[in-house]
Parts: sequence; C-alpha cells; structure tokens
Amino acid sequence: MKRAFLAFLAGPTLLWAVPALAGEHVVRMAGMAYAPAAIGAKLGDTIRFVNDDGTAHNVFVPTVGFGVDLGKQDPGKEATLVLAKAGRFEVECVFHPDMRIAVAVSR
Amino acid sequence: MRLGTSLAAGLAALAFAGAALAGAEKVGYPAGYQTKFRLYNVIDRPDRKIVRFMYMNPEAFEKAKAGEPAPHGMVLVMEDRKAKTDASGKAVTDAEGRIVATDEVANVFVMRKEAGWGAEYPPEKRNGEWEYAWFTPDGARKADARFDGCFSCHKARAERDFTFTFAVNLGELKK
Repeated sequence: MKRAFLAFLAGPTLLWAVPALAGEHVVRMAGMAYAPAAIGAKLGDTIRFVNDDGTAHNVFVPTVGFGVDLGKQDPGKEATLVLAKAGRFEVECVFHPDMRIAVAVSR
Repeated sequence: MRLGTSLAAGLAALAFAGAALAGAEKVGYPAGYQTKFRLYNVIDRPDRKIVRFMYMNPEAFEKAKAGEPAPHGMVLVMEDRKAKTDASGKAVTDAEGRIVATDEVANVFVMRKEAGWGAEYPPEKRNGEWEYAWFTPDGARKADARFDGCFSCHKARAERDFTFTFAVNLGELKK
C-alpha cells in the first residue's frame, strides 16, 4: 500500500520533470523519391533518411540559414538530420534534382 | 644564331599571348572576395568536417533577377573552411546545431559566367556559359585540378542555371 502511494506521487513528478521526448521521422528514398514528400516536425526532432533505393542519393539543404550537405549516401546507408532550428527548408538530392522534400520545424 | 633563337622565342611568346585561354584558366582568383563579395549562404559538411561559405560579387547580384538565369559577369565563390573540433576530433556545433568554422581556409572554388563561354564543350558536358576554377588559400591555382566533377554535378541543376545555392535562394536574398 505504501509502495503504491509512493508510485502515485512519483508518477506526476516524473511527467513534470522529464521533457517531451524528441520525435523521429523516417524518410525513405526508394524509387528515386523521398517519402513522405513533406514533414511537419518539432524543434529537437530528428529525420532519419534511409536509402532503400538501388542507387546512391544524398541529403542536401540549400535554404539560407539551414544549409547542410550530408554527403553521398550509398544504398543501404542511413543519415540523420537533427532539427535544432525552427523554420522551413527544403531537402534535395544533389544527384537527382527531382527528389525534394519540404520540412517545417515548429517550436 | 643568337638572333634566330631570340626571334623564335619572341614568336613563341606572341603566339602564347594571342592564344585564347581555355577552361579554368579563364577564371581568375577573386582577390579580396571575403570583404568585397557578399556572403549569401553557409553550408555545413559534417562528413568532411568543413563549412562552405558561399559568396557572390555584388555587381552581378544587383543585375540578377529571381527566376531568370544569372547575368554575365556572375562570380560565385565556395570557400571551404575547416571545422572547429573537440578533443575527440568531432566537429563542434553551436546552439542551433551549426558547425563552428575556424578561419582556416582549405580550398577556394570559383564559378564564373561570361557570354560565349563553354562553347567548346560537348552538350553532355557543357554547363551553359559557366567555367570553374580551383585555388589554394593563397590564391594559387590548385595543381592537377580536375573539373569533370564540377561539370557533372552542376549539370544536375541545369534548370536553375547550374547553381545549387544561388538561384534557389535569390528571391529571398533580394527581399
């Protein structure tokens, strides 16, 4: 009984003390296309890009203020983008200009 | 005999001076770009532990219009700077996750557009009227530099005048 009471007290305290866990969004590249084609995310979330296609791809952000190039991503490889800044940007594949994904990061 | 040698040397010099510059030789080092040009974008390369600073010449920027090809005389500079690293060799990032760059320049890549440039290239290689050059931090041409990679990679952005970070941001930069 005493243990149950302590657990009751500890529950809300833990919920209050631990911030919301960051979310992970998975983007696949099969068929020369990012899927999904748009992502709405929260600050601190991550996007895991999985190259499940048969050719090399890439994660490149040309948007001013968000620019990053994660380099060549061979088939079977993964790359992770941490969303540490709020705003909107576009991801492209350097090798395949039709591969694009819009990302919106909110606080 | 001495006269003949001098004459031959003179003729050779004249021929060299009159010869059209080819490829990367057309593109000179843009001295003073860090202060004279406009810094318009920064691209992190965590896989190479570098940060790419992108500059453009202000004269051409004034003429540039969103949705249109870059004007002749456009010079774009991509300066690679080494990232600041921690004791374990990992690139240091700031509060927004951006790589912190040092002042140490590793390479300076330049692309320039002029009327009629590129006509000597086959269609499968030609990047419109753009040419590319590669310089060391002191402004010297990179020895044994090859540019096939520049042409093939930028070819993928033919629909926005062969640029990765310029045309796509021009509308915002003009605001």
